[in-house]
Amino acid sequence: MTTPGLALAAPATRVPVVTGAGVGAAAGVALVGVAILAVLFGDQLATFRATELAGSSLEAPSREHLLGTNLLGQDVASQLILGTRSSLLVALVAGAGTVLVGGIVGILAGWFRGWFDATLMRVTDLMLVIPKLPLLLLVGALAGGSALTLAFLIALLFWPVAARVLRAQTLSLRGSTHVRAATGFGAGPGDQLRRHIVPALALLVVAEFIPAASRAVAMLAGLAFLGVGDPTEPSWGGIMRDAVAYRGLFVTPAWTWWLLPPIVAVVMLVVAITLIGVGAERRLNPRLGRHRR
Amino acid sequence: MSADVPTAPRGGRARPPWPRALAWLGGRSLARDLRTLTLYGVTMWAVVTLVFLLPRLMPGDPLSALDDPDSGTFIYDDHARAKVAAYYGLDQPLIAQYADYLSDLAHGDLGWSISQSAPVSRLIASRLPWTLLLMGSAVIISSLISFALGVTAGWRRGGRLDRALIVGSSAARAVPEYAMASLLLVLFAVLVPIFPLAGAMTPFARYASPFAAAGDVLRHLALPLAALSLGLLGNKFLLVRNSVIGTLGEDYMLLARAKGLPPRMLKFHHSGRNILLPFITVLGVQLGFAAGGSLFVEAVFAYPGMGTLVNGAVVARDYPLLQGTFLVLALVVLLANLLVELAYGAVDPRVYR
Repeated sequence: MTTPGLALAAPATRVPVVTGAGVGAAAGVALVGVAILAVLFGDQLATFRATELAGSSLEAPSREHLLGTNLLGQDVASQLILGTRSSLLVALVAGAGTVLVGGIVGILAGWFRGWFDATLMRVTDLMLVIPKLPLLLLVGALAGGSALTLAFLIALLFWPVAARVLRAQTLSLRGSTHVRAATGFGAGPGDQLRRHIVPALALLVVAEFIPAASRAVAMLAGLAFLGVGDPTEPSWGGIMRDAVAYRGLFVTPAWTWWLLPPIVAVVMLVVAITLIGVGAERRLNPRLGRHRR
Repeated sequence: MSADVPTAPRGGRARPPWPRALAWLGGRSLARDLRTLTLYGVTMWAVVTLVFLLPRLMPGDPLSALDDPDSGTFIYDDHARAKVAAYYGLDQPLIAQYADYLSDLAHGDLGWSISQSAPVSRLIASRLPWTLLLMGSAVIISSLISFALGVTAGWRRGGRLDRALIVGSSAARAVPEYAMASLLLVLFAVLVPIFPLAGAMTPFARYASPFAAAGDVLRHLALPLAALSLGLLGNKFLLVRNSVIGTLGEDYMLLARAKGLPPRMLKFHHSGRNILLPFITVLGVQLGFAAGGSLFVEAVFAYPGMGTLVNGAVVARDYPLLQGTFLVLALVVLLANLLVELAYGAVDPRVYR
């Protein structure tokens, strides 16, 4: 009954686990730990406020300004440390929101089937295909760009992937013998979902949370880079935007301490979360481990 | 007794769900294509309506400030305020506004850009070709490379090349497009200046021949193209690799090998061809990502496509321009997807079974 539509087939693009995933996961945990420390002790670590005119324009890195200053004379290192907050906040909120919406949609669709499932999956198809960045730019510009607002918007746009995965798993669980036995003993849908389906999906939910979180970090910085963001809230994307907006950036050596650090920070956080994901998948997915040995 | 009960012949097909007339007209493909067309038609209508509703659902459009007694730009004169509202059609009921919007859209009118004082449709028309050039070539190049690499890596799964490519493609997938673009720009336009920093053509250049002009365009395209292609590569590479591994154990592979066919033939003809379908599927989904990615990449390289246009529009909070760009990009991506889906049936005859 389903058409072999574009988005329907869930493509097998899972990353195969390579040896060294454990080391990578440890490195990922360490990097995220550093980011959490930067959030907790940001006010002590940042020697200046984000918007404070701390020195003269475009000072090279020194003992006082570890990453130099930007065009206005603001301390880049302090901005970078304070920008960790919005990044981690969005990783948590958008990641959790994506999984929550995707989980509710996916589990309900997989359990109840019928027209409900068909409609939800059509909406999912549609949302997978539509270009999300221009839509986020439009809605973000309309709704205002605080990190929390953007996190909700990201969650609202990116849930379909998680929904699809969780629906497929719910479908297969639904046919399994223990669930059918429970139905035979008279368990209603509420009972079934609470006692059999949701607990069985918990690990998969974690596995979906991780890519959603890393995608959200990359997306938030990208949105701020394109100008959707609260200019008073320090963010990595905001530093990048200011740097690229300066016409003489690449004529002076300023790009080395102004443009590169926020990019490296975004990439490191995204890669760290991804590494944790690869490591976790190995732990969480028993089938992968059995194949390797 | 059992002879009285009419039964379907064994192994016979159930009655097709489509009407007889359609089956007779163009066969099953027409019925299926019609369904696809309807689905995409509804989707496009949904996008068009979303663009209409979004600014009306949210607080804080430029005109509400003129209408709100608490705001600094409130127009105190009732008559003037009514006139402004009438000028923008805001005194009309929502349905009438919607009808106006649809009729404007049908005439190719996307509104008026506040920041650039020009029709949105004209601004987009001048930028869209550059974005399509970047997006299109990135999708094609990344597809060719990922196909070749994926087949090679899957063929020698577990080998050194395979593992290196998995790590490399996962890394390329994790790095956001704007970061990749900035890194390439720093490496190949600043530290080793072999490619231009920005733009799509050398300003004020005069070309001796069209070939020189094309060469200049290509030189400017190289880095943005590389950045976008790298971002699109990872997913497709993994898909091809995993699918190739899936086909390795098939009987027809064994037979082909037993016939003594050369490995190249096995790889690309027997194994590769079976991956074409899921590959096309991913291609369709990727078009949306490519549109988003090209906005990022263009912003980094100041490439004169939709990305720089959107960037300016966001900074100026130019809502008509933002609406127009989203609408056009969404329709382009949906149209391309529609074509891909129609082509799907042509590639795989099983679709119509």
